[in-house]
Amino acid sequence: MTLSLRHLSIAAATVLLSTQLMAEPKRPECIAPASPGGGFDLTCKLAQSALVDAKLLEKPMRVTYMPGGVGAVAYNTVVAQRPKEGGTIVAFSSGSLLNLSQGKFGRFDEKAVKWLAAVGTSYGAIAVRNDSPYKTLGDLVEALKKDPSKVVIGAGGTVGSQDWMQTALIAKAAGINPRDLRYVSLEGGGEIATALLGGHIQVGSTDISDSMPHIESGNMRILAVFSENRLEEPAMAEIPTAREQGYDIVWPVVRGFYLGPKVSDEDYTWWKNAFDKLLASDDFAKLRDQRELFPFAMTGDELDAYVQKEVARYRGLAKEFGLIQ
Amino acid sequence: MDTLTYLAQGFGVAMTPTNLMIALIGTLIGTVVGLLPGLGPINGVALLIPIAFALGLPPESALILLAAVYLGCEYGGRISSILLNIPGEASTLMTTLDGYPLARQGRAGVALSLSAWSSFIGALIATCGMVLFAPLLAKWAIAFGPAEYFVLMVLAIVALAGMAGDKPMKTLVAALLGLFLSTVGIDANSGVYRFTFDSIHVADGIQFVVLVLGLFSVSEILLLLEKTHHGHTVVKTTGRMLFNLNEARRVFFINLRCAVGGFVIGVLPGAGATLASALAYMTEKRIAGPSGQFGKGDIRGLAAPETAIGASCCGAMVPMLTLGVPGSGTTAVMIGALTLYNITPGPLLFQNEPQLVWGLIASLFIANVMLLVLNVPMIKVFTRILAVPNWALVPAIAIITSIGVYAIHATTFDLILMVLVGILGYILRKLDFPLSPLLLGFILGGLMEQNLRRALSISNGALDILWSSGITQAIWMLVVLMLVLPVIRIWRRRQAQRKALLADA
Amino acid sequence: MVFQRVFIAVWLIAGLVLAYIGWDYQAPFSYEPVGPRAFPLLMLGLMCASLVYLLVKPTPLSQEHDEQPMDAPTLRKILVCFLLLLAYALLFEALGFIVSSTLAGMAFARLYGGRWKGSAITSVLLSIGLYILFDRILDVPLPQGLLSGLEI
Repeated sequence: MTLSLRHLSIAAATVLLSTQLMAEPKRPECIAPASPGGGFDLTCKLAQSALVDAKLLEKPMRVTYMPGGVGAVAYNTVVAQRPKEGGTIVAFSSGSLLNLSQGKFGRFDEKAVKWLAAVGTSYGAIAVRNDSPYKTLGDLVEALKKDPSKVVIGAGGTVGSQDWMQTALIAKAAGINPRDLRYVSLEGGGEIATALLGGHIQVGSTDISDSMPHIESGNMRILAVFSENRLEEPAMAEIPTAREQGYDIVWPVVRGFYLGPKVSDEDYTWWKNAFDKLLASDDFAKLRDQRELFPFAMTGDELDAYVQKEVARYRGLAKEFGLIQ
Repeated sequence: MDTLTYLAQGFGVAMTPTNLMIALIGTLIGTVVGLLPGLGPINGVALLIPIAFALGLPPESALILLAAVYLGCEYGGRISSILLNIPGEASTLMTTLDGYPLARQGRAGVALSLSAWSSFIGALIATCGMVLFAPLLAKWAIAFGPAEYFVLMVLAIVALAGMAGDKPMKTLVAALLGLFLSTVGIDANSGVYRFTFDSIHVADGIQFVVLVLGLFSVSEILLLLEKTHHGHTVVKTTGRMLFNLNEARRVFFINLRCAVGGFVIGVLPGAGATLASALAYMTEKRIAGPSGQFGKGDIRGLAAPETAIGASCCGAMVPMLTLGVPGSGTTAVMIGALTLYNITPGPLLFQNEPQLVWGLIASLFIANVMLLVLNVPMIKVFTRILAVPNWALVPAIAIITSIGVYAIHATTFDLILMVLVGILGYILRKLDFPLSPLLLGFILGGLMEQNLRRALSISNGALDILWSSGITQAIWMLVVLMLVLPVIRIWRRRQAQRKALLADA
Repeated sequence: MVFQRVFIAVWLIAGLVLAYIGWDYQAPFSYEPVGPRAFPLLMLGLMCASLVYLLVKPTPLSQEHDEQPMDAPTLRKILVCFLLLLAYALLFEALGFIVSSTLAGMAFARLYGGRWKGSAITSVLLSIGLYILFDRILDVPLPQGLLSGLEI
């Protein structure tokens, strides 16, 4: 007992010492597993500028791009070919976890990497054009109950994507089979906005951040946002949640980073400490707000537990909807 | 009236010495980045955003820099197409068709300057269009739903038939191969992985850069080897570097037509420069008829796609500025840049940030003029590339090509795929299969299939959505026209022959 | 002509195999009547039909290429070049950009008739220059490979 205690204290002392002395990892790099300009790019750029602003890194780390399968290519490359690179963090989102849960990430599962930090979140939302007959989520659900084939729902992804999951959950709430929906898969929030404005679709299953410019201009309305509570930003305070309308649907789109599986504990601790400091600071909160992300701070073991839980939840949903066996 | 005041203000913003300097630097950097195959405006713009932000440039200057880089890249892209027959990106594919033959005839300087001029006119007309009709165009852009896009793709594929020339079957097979290759990867509608053989490297499909650099660059390396082996001499650029008035006059109406067409297509989000340049080329080829030397170094075949590209690049800014929706990959990156400055592009941008929007439009004008002015002394430098002996040129091409491919995913897989595609491309070229229809099929195929299926999801399977709107009907008419035009021409020629015969008798 | 037929035949077989594989693609969820397999199968079908036509009636090769006929030495060189490209692709990451490009550049230069000295100088300058241009200035990260210990 005493021995282990002494061990612990020595370990604690070394950790303390090493965090003081520890140099930043070699060649810090953030892999955005998508083409420039998307959400992953934004996540990397956020960390890039925040780490420099907080003086945690001397020079901005590089942001590199590795598009493919909502993160599948980056995941496989890091796990199989670059597992030891302590300087390389990779951006992920709930979308990556969703694909991971459906076995679309090749032979590796959610335990293959070291989950580092989640830095912010967005929330799913249901949007309609300004002149739509649906005023509340309830109206939409009623309409779906009456005749699901009368409502054209557009979404920013294919079957099994986050946007599809949202519509499937609404279908479930209406007590209809998601197969009976009229679902159109578009590419990303921009296409949803144009299709809604052009009247090609009636309902858009999208993300709150993407829709805000169109809400502010008065062209679009949000029927419900899938957050736990109302969002605090002034422009969004009016938007009702699905929960308060009696539908228990919560769909956060968390954004964060992971490290390769064989990264040394020192490097991992360095990054974790850096992000802990960052996430607690006000400057970071400002940067995060600028990128239309909402607070969501989690690092280390806590994040790992969250990821495992979410992946399990997604897997359950995918089974329930018949996406996987 | 308001518009003019705003535009004057915009020029005020863009004409400050700092911003002029920034535009100059931007166009230069852009040209260099665009020149490197595989790297395009997306890289250039993405690269400069953090720098602009770090330098603390005000948002107008940053956006001016980005617009200048964007136009510079588009300009740089044509240099490798014309001189080396290596299109660095999709849009410059059509430029190779007549640009490279021109360079082979020793008229590289003329080709480069004429393409710069065409693109300048295209951009100029497009910018004017933007000033006058931006709000109206926004309506046009959102009126385009999946059904309209599908019919537009049908038009493009029908136009592709115009490339058939003297070997229709081989063109057809090549185009079909391209159309098929576009289906590799995840199916955007159903989420099914197709022809990936469980490899995550092709989960998103075959990368365009891999395909284009394999087919063109690697196969060109192999063809150069043959030529070296047989002791071919290099083609030197002879005579004048600039096009003359006569040539400018010959393509003037083509410039006008293609500028309008390119702009209108460029405004459509997602359709972009490739479609615009392909349609422009095919249409002009049809119009020219048998009088054209298209594909063998006809200046009209060079001017048409170049004008369309120039116009569509500016057109792509319209959805970004009016709707906050990216009109192309590059504008998507620009939107990201704007959010850094806490400016959300969207329907309110024109109202909330008039200074920025009009400054950008004015700087597009200026960047275009600058490109043209810069270009004249640069042409001599660029055409020197042709004088480099093969033993020094080939290693450079091989290394730069590999970097371009490696830059997408940073994986060895792509490099190997490129080499294998290159061998295939070499054999196809040796056997007279044309490669451009293959690439066009590849680009158009995905858009065509996905939009057809989206349209049918919207209509719940009813086919009439494909011809129920006014826009679809208008495009179908163009399709019919495209098909009928050659028939009419043949019929007319027969008539003329018959008349001649009658007159003789 | 013989080669053309053989090539088309191989292509045709590949097309048929792909069509066979594609036959099974079915979506768990489909919201439209076309589905994921119709388009690729249609394209493959048309392609194979056209290939059969070409197999029966191959188009003679036009001689506009102003080329010499393929002879054994050329073919050997093409093969060497292909292997060289493949080796470069395989070693690109393992050896790192500078080393692999210098070696490959030198080999290419020699293959295309350069002298030893010129080839060596050109390829060294090219690989270092391009490394600086891309990795340092244009921010396209290139693999360091063998030189990763150098802290450059």
